[in-house]
Amino acid sequence: MMGKKDSKKDDESGGSNPFRHLEKAAVLQETRTFNETPINAKKCCLILTKILYMINQGEHLAPTEATQAFFAMTKLFQSKDVMLRRMLYLCIKEMANIANDVIIVTSSLTKDMTGKEDIYRGPAIRALCRITDNTMLQSIERYMKQAIVDKSPSVSSAALVSSLHLMKQGPEVVKRWVNEVSEAVNSDNVMVQYHALGLLYQIKKNDKLAITKLVSKFSKSSLRSPFAYCFLIRVAARQLEEEKDGFDKTLFDFVESCLRHKSEMVIYEAASAIVSLRCTTSKELVSAIGVLQLLCNSPKPSLRYAAVKTLNKISISHPAAVTACNIDLENLITDQNRSIATLAITTLLKTGNESGVDRLMKQIATFMSEISDEFKIVVVEAIQSLCSKFPRKHNVMMTFLASMLREDGGFEYKKAIVNTIIVIIEENPEAREIGLSHLCEFIEDCEFLPLATRILHLLGREGPRTTTPAKYIRYIYNRVILESAEVRAAAVSALAKFGASSDDLLPSILVLLNRSKLDEDDEVRDRATFFYDILSQNDKALSSAYILNTLNVSPVSLERALLQYNQHVTEKPFDIKVVPTIEVEIHKPSGETLLPSSTKPTEKPTASRQDLYMEQLSAIPEFAHLGPLFKSSSPVELTEPETEYNVKCIKHTFTNYIVFQFDCLNTLNDQLLEDVVVKLDTADGYEIISYKQCAKLPYNTLGIAYTLVKIPDDPSQVVATFGCNMKFKVKDCDPNTGEPDNEEGYEDEYGLENVEINVSDHVQKVLKPNFGASWEEVGDANELEDTYALSMPSLEEAIKNIIQFMGLQPCERSERAPEGKNSHVLLLAGIYRGGHDVLVRAKLAFNDGGVAMQLTIRSSDSIVPQVIAQAVG
Amino acid sequence: MGLLDKLESFLGGKKKDFNILVIGLDNSGKSTVVNNLKPNDDRAININPTVGFNSEKVNFRNLNLSLFDMSGQSRYRNLWEHYYREADAIVFVIDSSDRMRFVVSNEELNDVLNHREIKDKKIPLLILANKKDAKGALNESGLRNELEINGIRGKQYEIFATDGLSGQGVNDAFEWLANELKKE
Repeated sequence: MMGKKDSKKDDESGGSNPFRHLEKAAVLQETRTFNETPINAKKCCLILTKILYMINQGEHLAPTEATQAFFAMTKLFQSKDVMLRRMLYLCIKEMANIANDVIIVTSSLTKDMTGKEDIYRGPAIRALCRITDNTMLQSIERYMKQAIVDKSPSVSSAALVSSLHLMKQGPEVVKRWVNEVSEAVNSDNVMVQYHALGLLYQIKKNDKLAITKLVSKFSKSSLRSPFAYCFLIRVAARQLEEEKDGFDKTLFDFVESCLRHKSEMVIYEAASAIVSLRCTTSKELVSAIGVLQLLCNSPKPSLRYAAVKTLNKISISHPAAVTACNIDLENLITDQNRSIATLAITTLLKTGNESGVDRLMKQIATFMSEISDEFKIVVVEAIQSLCSKFPRKHNVMMTFLASMLREDGGFEYKKAIVNTIIVIIEENPEAREIGLSHLCEFIEDCEFLPLATRILHLLGREGPRTTTPAKYIRYIYNRVILESAEVRAAAVSALAKFGASSDDLLPSILVLLNRSKLDEDDEVRDRATFFYDILSQNDKALSSAYILNTLNVSPVSLERALLQYNQHVTEKPFDIKVVPTIEVEIHKPSGETLLPSSTKPTEKPTASRQDLYMEQLSAIPEFAHLGPLFKSSSPVELTEPETEYNVKCIKHTFTNYIVFQFDCLNTLNDQLLEDVVVKLDTADGYEIISYKQCAKLPYNTLGIAYTLVKIPDDPSQVVATFGCNMKFKVKDCDPNTGEPDNEEGYEDEYGLENVEINVSDHVQKVLKPNFGASWEEVGDANELEDTYALSMPSLEEAIKNIIQFMGLQPCERSERAPEGKNSHVLLLAGIYRGGHDVLVRAKLAFNDGGVAMQLTIRSSDSIVPQVIAQAVG
Repeated sequence: MGLLDKLESFLGGKKKDFNILVIGLDNSGKSTVVNNLKPNDDRAININPTVGFNSEKVNFRNLNLSLFDMSGQSRYRNLWEHYYREADAIVFVIDSSDRMRFVVSNEELNDVLNHREIKDKKIPLLILANKKDAKGALNESGLRNELEINGIRGKQYEIFATDGLSGQGVNDAFEWLANELKKE
């Protein structure tokens, strides 16, 4: 009985798609049927369908087999069957880029496109343009010109759209058809007019003036087609957006006038264009918003959707304007179309006030299960922005997010929720415990490995600081028992962090780690063994260095350094300090994810900026002996913008030396500079070792000159100012060829702005995830403590300046001062030149227009604290 | 269609559909000849150089002929061979006034006849000495000497002098071809 049922089920699923089990070889074999006479149209149609299906499923056809099938297909032109012929056009288009010699059908297609059968003409044009390459384009030019101005709209449209595609390969030929295209714009048919306008724009695209003329011409002579109107609005909007200084009033007036068009499509397009323009003022916004408001009440769902979607998009950039539509949005909350309702609610959430949040959240909860993942993500994003706006509402949000986590959903959706919870936890300490417990519950049954490992990492970082760290151990250890290797490894690392942070938990953690030492996976076993041994030493400094605060080097540099080390046989142990530390990534503000431009491509891990400099410098023999590069500053302009020469300076700090890299640009096209060198005035104990000149600096080509200086032996002397002078030999030259007029030039020089070396050039930022542990690890052997009075208008200002002067990395999110409080503790960390740890704790108090600071500096070196303190003084 | 023919086809008699390959150098008049075979109201007024091929269906003496009018331009001649396998007859058109290129025509014809798909196939070959009224045109027997066609083995062949524009001689030539096809 069971067997019977199963087989029936199989039949059903097989019946749903007759092409599911197609085999390429069999289908290609079947194409022989095309050669039979007379042609069996029905059978051949089916075979063509199979070919199309196969190609669209991604089946790869080799050129020879495709060509063979293609030539068999050409026999089908004998048949007069309409269905078969149209199927044939489709197939030709698909095979155009796979088979060879596809031009074989050119004459057959031109015959069809000029023939009497209207039903053949359009498709034939489309197929013809697909098989035509650049060399053949001229031979069909005559037919295309005729077709563009053909009386039949379908033929004309087909020719116009095909020409649009041909623009990609032969823009020059298509541009010659501009008269025909202009004629087609005047067509009575709405579709033809739209397509013709589109092609006309493509032809003139690169000529800004022509486009402006185009818009003004057609905005006066009223177009019949609303599509064409919409297109014209888009062109005008793009034109407005691209103009930097001021905007064309006539263009904007045109878009504005479209708000009163009789077609709803055009009205919407105009409103949408106005609200998205950067140059729109609040006054102009009002009428556009008014239109959107009207559309919100339209009986047509598509218009309501478009309007509310646009409002949602601009709710961040123009919140005040959107609030005007609140009543209309409220009406849409109960819209039958769930997509409209979701967008309405999230818009209200983004713009609304604190009191309305509960009600809206309740409303949205009623139909969460009915909307697609894509819209659920919209809701999650709205919640995230709400949480940063109303931190006190985090309870409602968290419960809501947690219930969303429990429901079914795809990876993107779950990722959005987890990200949101993590952001809330990081921004709002009050939400930490409840957020963590929700996440713990989630990983109990989580099918997405990346999310599970991410949460485990977060637990390891945040868990030990909660009031009852012990309760997380169970969740984490469950992962060790139940999950796959990746998750187990992450869980072991998280456990170790608990052990390092809490003495009470240490014995239990050691027991748990000991069990994992027998894990079947290498990585898990290695981690467990490593952590177990470190933790059993019971040495705070050790666990701080190897468990709580890990390496801060860029993997690329580390790999290179290890490779270099392995190439030479040496007794010396590998020194991790030669590997440049990685610069800490600057935290993106969390609100950014809500802006429309948030879809940034994720960057692949590549060599950092510093790695590139390192490579550049090590290639210069003079600098080979300097040792590892410690830090490279960001470029500083030494010239005013738009002067004759443009010079930027980058400071490269080595252990005992500094290399100044001068990127020079010559903006005079009648001069060739030679032997360019940047002379420095010696200052403050710094000694100039050598100059490396830039031999030739032609017009508009970047040239690099270097100057090497030695840092004074006195370790407390670090800050200095150098006067800069660029010296070179000028040869006048022909602006066109760049050839010098004569061999003899004359000496000249050019004054540059001073270069400064600050404390921040001697330190590299390092993020210590657990500042407290590092603080204890370094100890108070070289501690320096002092109090200062800073004349700063606010705590934020003081924090910003201290970070900038010291060039250290703020830790534990201490760079953000709590709102409405008068005191704050800023924690900074970094590495001083030569590899010494530097930690700074600045206790700040604000009163009466000034900030009092108690500064404590710890370092593994005795001189460093004094140097750092100089930065403030 | 007469009653007898119907009866014949009903009894599973003779084949009535044939694929005919029309080849020859460019500008020899292939498309014009083919155009001339079509009914009066169906003819094209202007003939342009063919790119690739054109397919025409013609009913001639109760036979359904599918004519594959191939492009004669040198760079497309290598595409002819794709149609050899299914060809039931070959029509080779020569411009009889283009004396300069008789050699080329001869070469191409030999290449076709020696092709592995054609060589051992017993199919009729119709050679048209086209443009017979043009200035400097060689007559049918002169062309016979000019071409090395006496060496053709295993195939029925015949040369006809034609004028594709007026249609002179085209009917006679295809009459012969139809008879050859009916013999099979």
